[in-house]
Amino acid sequence: MASAPRSESPSAVPPLTPARPVIWPPRVHKTLSNGLEVVLVESHTIPKFTGELFFRSGNAVTAAKAPGLADMTATVARTGTQKRTSREIEEDLRRMGSDLSSGAGADTSVISFAGLVDFSNDLLGLVSELAQQASFPADEFERERRQLIEGLRIERTTPGFLASERLRRVLFGAHPYGTISPTEEQVTGYRIEQLKEYYQHYYRPGNALLVMVGDFAPQTMMAQIEKIFGSWASGAVEPAPDPALPEVQGRRVYLVHLPDSVQTQIVIGNRAITRKHPDWLRLTLANSIYGGAFNSRLVMNIREQKGYTYSPRSGAHPLRQHGYFSIGAAVRNDVVAATLTEIFYEIDRMRSTPVGEEELDDARNYLTGIFSLGLATQDGLAGQLATSTLEKLPDDYLETYRERVLKLTSADVLDAAQKYFDSAHAQIVIVGDRAQIESQAALFGAPEVYDAQGNRI
Amino acid sequence: MTQLNIPIESTTLPNGLRVVISPDRTAPVATVGVYYNIGFRIEPRGRSGFAHLFEHMMFQGSANAGKMVHIKLINSSGGVLNGSTHYDVTNYYESVPSNALERVLWLEADRMRALKVDDENLRNQRDVVKEEVRVNVLNQPYGGFPWLDLPPIAYRNWSNAHNFYGDFDDLDAATLDDVQKFFKTYYAPSNAVLLILGDVDTDESIQLAERHFASIPSGPQPSPADIDEPPQLGERRGVVEEKFGTLPGVAIGYQSPRRLTPDWHAAAMLDQALHGGRAGRVYRRLVLEQQIAVDAEGGIHYPVGDLFDYNGPTLMVTRILHKPEYSVDQTIAAYDQIIDEMKEKGITAGELEPIKVKFRSNYFSMLEGGHGASIPRYGLMHLLACFSLFDNDPNLVNTILGGFMEVTPEAVQSVAHKLLTHHNRSIAIRQPAKKGAA
Repeated sequence: MASAPRSESPSAVPPLTPARPVIWPPRVHKTLSNGLEVVLVESHTIPKFTGELFFRSGNAVTAAKAPGLADMTATVARTGTQKRTSREIEEDLRRMGSDLSSGAGADTSVISFAGLVDFSNDLLGLVSELAQQASFPADEFERERRQLIEGLRIERTTPGFLASERLRRVLFGAHPYGTISPTEEQVTGYRIEQLKEYYQHYYRPGNALLVMVGDFAPQTMMAQIEKIFGSWASGAVEPAPDPALPEVQGRRVYLVHLPDSVQTQIVIGNRAITRKHPDWLRLTLANSIYGGAFNSRLVMNIREQKGYTYSPRSGAHPLRQHGYFSIGAAVRNDVVAATLTEIFYEIDRMRSTPVGEEELDDARNYLTGIFSLGLATQDGLAGQLATSTLEKLPDDYLETYRERVLKLTSADVLDAAQKYFDSAHAQIVIVGDRAQIESQAALFGAPEVYDAQGNRI
Repeated sequence: MTQLNIPIESTTLPNGLRVVISPDRTAPVATVGVYYNIGFRIEPRGRSGFAHLFEHMMFQGSANAGKMVHIKLINSSGGVLNGSTHYDVTNYYESVPSNALERVLWLEADRMRALKVDDENLRNQRDVVKEEVRVNVLNQPYGGFPWLDLPPIAYRNWSNAHNFYGDFDDLDAATLDDVQKFFKTYYAPSNAVLLILGDVDTDESIQLAERHFASIPSGPQPSPADIDEPPQLGERRGVVEEKFGTLPGVAIGYQSPRRLTPDWHAAAMLDQALHGGRAGRVYRRLVLEQQIAVDAEGGIHYPVGDLFDYNGPTLMVTRILHKPEYSVDQTIAAYDQIIDEMKEKGITAGELEPIKVKFRSNYFSMLEGGHGASIPRYGLMHLLACFSLFDNDPNLVNTILGGFMEVTPEAVQSVAHKLLTHHNRSIAIRQPAKKGAA
């Protein structure tokens, strides 16, 4: 036993030993003749594989006509094909030891799958069928529609959902990013022809990216994929619309009244940037110091010192065309104003005072370390791969990520905080029982009050 | 393919601490866990929620690492950490770049040796825990349904039946003295197992474990708690008001077999036949075909645990949210048809074989992740810990699949007859609060 250094005394923190190199495993990247982009990485941790078939269009492209239609299309696409009934699909998945889900966000639609490698050919065959030959049975559609409506009603009683919904509306207005969920009326208005049209138009290889990680030989797997997906007919897809964003001026307060709440959900946000923006890593690091990690300033302050909340966090959220920064905390009703005060104190400290070397160093280590954790599992690798390829980031994005983080300085953090932690124009959303919190909210600006259905009251 | 070859080395230090090492050098990261053989089931009476509150206190400071030092040292080493309280175990775990291994072991040893906390820490974490309960239970639709609803209906022994998250009065009553007493009683090395997984060398890991943990004084074994339940003689029902959600909920729980028994293996297959996702009979019938429910799922020791991490009475649970146009009785009647059919006709080999394939596949995923992608090998760690503490055999990780793969259709039908009876079950109903015109 040689390599472990002996710590000097039981009370001294053992030093870090020399780090093993962090190597992103090689990947095979190819665009098939029909335009389907494929990225494969081998990982032999378990005899399985995991994959995602993305389409670079989501709810944003249907927002003007039918909000949420891309998500509904993805949901119903897994309920029947020209060859299989819904029940056959589910039983075939079980026979292959596989899981599959489908859905859509603002920018992408996706079929996600994982299974035993012994059945990779069969599972890819099914995925290909769902992507090309979905049959959209009318009865499956009606069932899913009703389930979605019931789900929406429950969402409207969920503080976290109501807070996110209001924040996105305030930050993005009539832009597709301003709506995170359709209304019941909109869902009632979906017609099955709209789903089929969406599917025919956007589920195309030229609009698609297939990412797979697992216990396979990439070259062999690539050949298998070409055989299964090669005959898929191409088709051109237009980019999502990007209408003008509303002007967000001044610090504004929005209160969503949820009667009988025994806690208040606070969310504060600003518009920020996409992952492609040159400031992205600076913002990521600033966020990690502010409220993105357990040992961040916000968590230390309002959880560990003051006990206002259980899981306060901040995050930088990249969408394809824009991004936003947000801070969230669910707090007891009598400390809403006190929490807002601390949130803004910590924001303004980030904006006005450079971060010291030790704190900077800790945060850089944190970001590079959690990146390494992602390399240890098939899901972790697939997640990083999807991040870098979906938005067409530079080829060496993953290989150079850690060194780019390690080069960031205190000035970079200050710069990002000043640009993106925009406290003077921060939008404040609080969700709770109006009678208990309105006077506290009013200390930060006259609140616009809404009910849980989104109506101004 | 049911006999796995995951490398496992285990040893016991003179103070009774069990140590289990499982190296895998794929990526330069290590996962470390310390599991204590104490969960919320046997926390002291009058102190509901205390095991969980205590778990929070373990992050508040130890002899050489004061408040926040644990969190700061792990995050600044590039790692993440957390803890969680279960029915029968409490765990503390870290995933870090492997060059921080010794630092992690030092921290875990420091808090196993001596907890150093004060009243201010206790007040602080009591407040934090109350907000945790509010955000997860009291201020959420279907919060605690059914994991907090079923135990008081299903059980008669306080240990199994009480509010595991804690009544606020009980949390308020907890003292620093309670904290130190609990620590002395349940947090001795002989009541724990240390797990070291990932990019580590086995011999070096054992030496590091010895270096940091061997000098922690051993303590007396806690006396075994009485968690036995009197036999259940009839169906039990209870109603809980749903303050926020719009749909009625029904949860049905059947007393489940003890772990590692033949019935347990068969019940696991029965559970998959009923609750195995969209192909499972319950979801298929209630949601997809009859469309009485909008959601239906379940499992053994569901939803806050799984087949492997209980060591006392537990339930096989089905959780249903149904449409308001169906009554609770209609919903239960439709559910009972599924159950009666299983008992009368059993299951064919054609249904059981795919269930085994899926079970094996799920098991592999659990080993690798089991906790999202954020804690590599969390599931392997969790299994090794439970097999060590409950069954004294971490190698079960490699052999346990065999028993499931051997289950016959007859065994599934037989265990269905044994378990799925009215007198063996409890039902919790979540009734949406009557509100005025919305």
